Amino acid sequence: MTTSAAIGRASPQVAPSQHDDRFSLQRVVGVAALVAGAVLFLFPFYYMIVGSLQRAPDTGISGAFPNPGNLTLANFTDINAQVDLVRTLMNSGIFTGGVLLATFFIGLLAGYALAQLEFRGRSVVFNAMMLILVLPFQLFMIPLYVLIVRSYGLADSYLGMILPFAVNATAVFIFRQFFLQLPRDLFDSARIDGASELLVLRRIAIPLARPAIVTAMIVTFIGPWNEFLWPFLITKQHDLQPLAVALANYISTVAARATNPFGSILAGAVVLVIPAVIVFVIFQREFIESNLGSAVKG
Amino acid sequence: MARTWLRVGGVATALVLLIAGCIGDNGGGGGPASDATATGPIKIWYSNNAEEVTWGKAMVTAWNKDHPAEQVTGEEIPAGKSSEEVIGASITAGNTPCLIFNTSPAAVPQFEKQGGLVALDTFPDGASYIQARTGDRADQYKSTDGKFYQMPWKTNPVMIFYNKTVFAKAGLPTDNPPLTTYADFLATAKTLVAKGGVQAAIWPSPTSDFYQPWFDFYPLFIAQTGGKQLVEGGVPQFDGPDGLAVADFWKSLYEQKLVPNEAYQGDSFADQKAAMAIVGPWAIAVYGTKIEWGAVPVPTKDGMAPGDIHTFSDEKSIGMYSSCTNLGTAWSFLKFTTSKDSDGQLLTLTGQMPMRTDLTATYPDYFTAHPEYTAFADQASRTVEVPNVPNSVEMWQTFRDAYSASVIFSKTPVDEAFKTAADEIKTMVSGN
Amino acid sequence: MTIAATGRPSGHRDRMRSLFGRDPIGYAFIAPYVLFLGGLFAYPLLVALYISFFDYFFAAPGAQVDRPFVGLSNYTAVLSDSVFQRSMLNVAEFIVINVPLTVLLSLVLAAALNAKLPFRAFFRVAYYIPYVTASVAVIGVWLWLFSRDGLINGVLGPLAPSPSWLVSDVLAMPIIALVVTWKQLGFYVILYLAALQNIPRELYEAAEVDGAGVVRKFMSITIPGVSSVTTLVVILATIVGANLFTEPYLLTGGGGPNGASMSPVLLMYQQGIEQGHAGYAAAIGVVLAIIVMTISAINRFVLEKD
Repeated sequence: MTTSAAIGRASPQVAPSQHDDRFSLQRVVGVAALVAGAVLFLFPFYYMIVGSLQRAPDTGISGAFPNPGNLTLANFTDINAQVDLVRTLMNSGIFTGGVLLATFFIGLLAGYALAQLEFRGRSVVFNAMMLILVLPFQLFMIPLYVLIVRSYGLADSYLGMILPFAVNATAVFIFRQFFLQLPRDLFDSARIDGASELLVLRRIAIPLARPAIVTAMIVTFIGPWNEFLWPFLITKQHDLQPLAVALANYISTVAARATNPFGSILAGAVVLVIPAVIVFVIFQREFIESNLGSAVKG
Repeated sequence: MARTWLRVGGVATALVLLIAGCIGDNGGGGGPASDATATGPIKIWYSNNAEEVTWGKAMVTAWNKDHPAEQVTGEEIPAGKSSEEVIGASITAGNTPCLIFNTSPAAVPQFEKQGGLVALDTFPDGASYIQARTGDRADQYKSTDGKFYQMPWKTNPVMIFYNKTVFAKAGLPTDNPPLTTYADFLATAKTLVAKGGVQAAIWPSPTSDFYQPWFDFYPLFIAQTGGKQLVEGGVPQFDGPDGLAVADFWKSLYEQKLVPNEAYQGDSFADQKAAMAIVGPWAIAVYGTKIEWGAVPVPTKDGMAPGDIHTFSDEKSIGMYSSCTNLGTAWSFLKFTTSKDSDGQLLTLTGQMPMRTDLTATYPDYFTAHPEYTAFADQASRTVEVPNVPNSVEMWQTFRDAYSASVIFSKTPVDEAFKTAADEIKTMVSGN
Repeated sequence: MTIAATGRPSGHRDRMRSLFGRDPIGYAFIAPYVLFLGGLFAYPLLVALYISFFDYFFAAPGAQVDRPFVGLSNYTAVLSDSVFQRSMLNVAEFIVINVPLTVLLSLVLAAALNAKLPFRAFFRVAYYIPYVTASVAVIGVWLWLFSRDGLINGVLGPLAPSPSWLVSDVLAMPIIALVVTWKQLGFYVILYLAALQNIPRELYEAAEVDGAGVVRKFMSITIPGVSSVTTLVVILATIVGANLFTEPYLLTGGGGPNGASMSPVLLMYQQGIEQGHAGYAAAIGVVLAIIVMTISAINRFVLEKD
């Protein structure tokens, strides 16, 4: 990972605009292709919503268009009868929120230390982190389960759910990459003035790091939101299970009992997808291209 | 850089030796040996099947009313492919409940190997209670050391359900339909797909999960051989002429596209995509009034009298787990939930057959009120279980992979695939 | 911890510095993370390594069970297991489809988003959304779309493949590769977008003065300019491919027909957790990790020629 040679020229760059060619054939074709691609990308979500509203499953081509005669909210009530959608959504939120908090506090400190502070053993920690990134979670799963349940006694608890995911290695990596590019003199002046390292971090580093933080948080969000194996192992109590787990179980066992199995699965899926989308749409403005440049480099 | 790695290596070695010490004495030793007469509160798990949950909750409430010092707490675990993993992991962590009311007999050898199960023979009336309730069939549930590590609880004898409306539409008789021999079955299947307005004659799940053979190959194999298990006395039985006949029958169905090789999301019989289903009486609650159904025993090559046909039990047992401290309460509760009354409630609420001898005589009122279940009660006396052998899950997975490749997808000849599988399985079940 | 402006620290600080490095406060900052790694992952990792040399399975606490040392036999069994070999081939197939597609699409998309085209917010949402949604949720739709009577086959009509997509041992893995590409694209677009912003505008302007067209500019400036990110994307995509679990598990439960969509991690899960052969599963994990790290190192070597 080499840092960009253009560190001094970290101002936002865009491909030069060509005012007179704004409507050139190339541009129009390009935009059209992008729009077509975007539509194709969004199609599964559209289909998900359509499918969740169908009374009887219609897998033909006409089924792709909402048929007023076939619309119903029954699928949502069906799956809600088996899976308490509100409660499981809340559990997903607690699980994900816990991970986000831990990653923010612990991960940010770690990323900063790995990048800007020199101490013996720094590279050992970095390599350990990279190792965790590479290895699949399934390798650790049972010993981790034994550790958390037997030694730490955290079965059937939110903490037990959160712990293995608490600090997302990719987020730490992103923080480190970002802080690597900031020149040391930026902080030295504050240090010389007598500021403690913590203050330096709080007052200087973090405000600068905002785009990296947003990026890292979005990356971190997906892990626990998506995770259906680990919470399933760690807790049997229904009122602690996140929605991803409940939905996975629903798909494999109970769906067949519903009036429209596919419809109710998709209804659950819609409920799982919507909050993530909303959160993302709100924060996507943070991805303003000018800020993003400094977020992840190298 | 190299020095860093050397240092890391040194630390790691030290830690490994430390871990080895810990693992060496099996995770730090267990607690004091549990007393078979200890009483107190216990926890139990039951499946999340809606009707079973109702039954379970009723049992717990009734017991708790009369036993204030021995309260029972019930929790649901998802049934299906992941429940064995959950239980296995739980055994390792030492947090299994006292009783799990949906222990699959195929998983018992594995749990036993892990040291997770309590032998019910440790209770003075353990073996006798089980044998009195279940009769001869109880022997199929003994482990290789002759003890009972599970209590046989309920069975869902697998039969062929058929959709009377679809049969009528296809011009087939709706009482005593021609489904007794393979030849008849095939011909009927063809007619159904051609004229019955269904996509498939029958639609067993073609996925590769280890337990799928229990709902396509195994019931027919049991019927055809008059009651043999997949492996008997350490010797695989399925690669003989009977096993090959069953496999060839299914293969013809797949080849003639009367049975799809892709899974259906949902219940194909309930959605009227398939004219028949191969399943047990628990499904009646699902079909309910949606489908006009009939049930017949599974077919055999040349036909057999219904009273002679055996089938797969699809049985679920109750396991008592070694993490339990109040074994006395657990055993009493176990006997309570398998008493004549409780079994009767199970029957009424779920339609599943308790593993009791002579069901129709024990619950005459129920069967008078629900004559459609009588066939299943009768079939329940002739059920065969999965073999209780070491590595049983791996055995079924190996079989399924061979079956899938040769019968469902016709990639290899059946006799070759079965022979190879038989050789592998022979080694597996010998305990290596 | 301050250093005098003249750079001449006192004797005590000198000693500390040589022992611990310039900023010992780093230990305090890194401590929570090290605690996390050590307290949660060190033990499982070492256990996994340890048990891979034994005929190991997990047992109840206090149970007396026999777990003989078997040396390297788990490893030889893994390497000669045809299912494992098939799963590695599947991963290779996945990587061959997914990685080039990912690099190409994410770079093009990032360039487009960078170019101040209209509807940018819409594009951002459209192309990133799959990344932030749970696999469990979208699997349902994909299963439905690609099922035998699904929409895709409906549109294709007579061209629909038989056996259908997810049960075909030829098509199952490519479908998974496409689904995962769709899903992960957003993340790589972010990476490329950042890199693109660091390409100095002057380079483009100079090229334009020389009469270079869009494609020429792209090939000669953009692509070399983001080469380090390309290395990162290739490595990350390879790691994701090697660790593929959710999609094979949910889409083709059990590894598909003849193990056509079996992945090594799914095999590890089946062997270790479903069938209780923990030692064997650990050996699979170690072999996989070694292969992945080797490939990453090779990737890095090949791509980072500077």
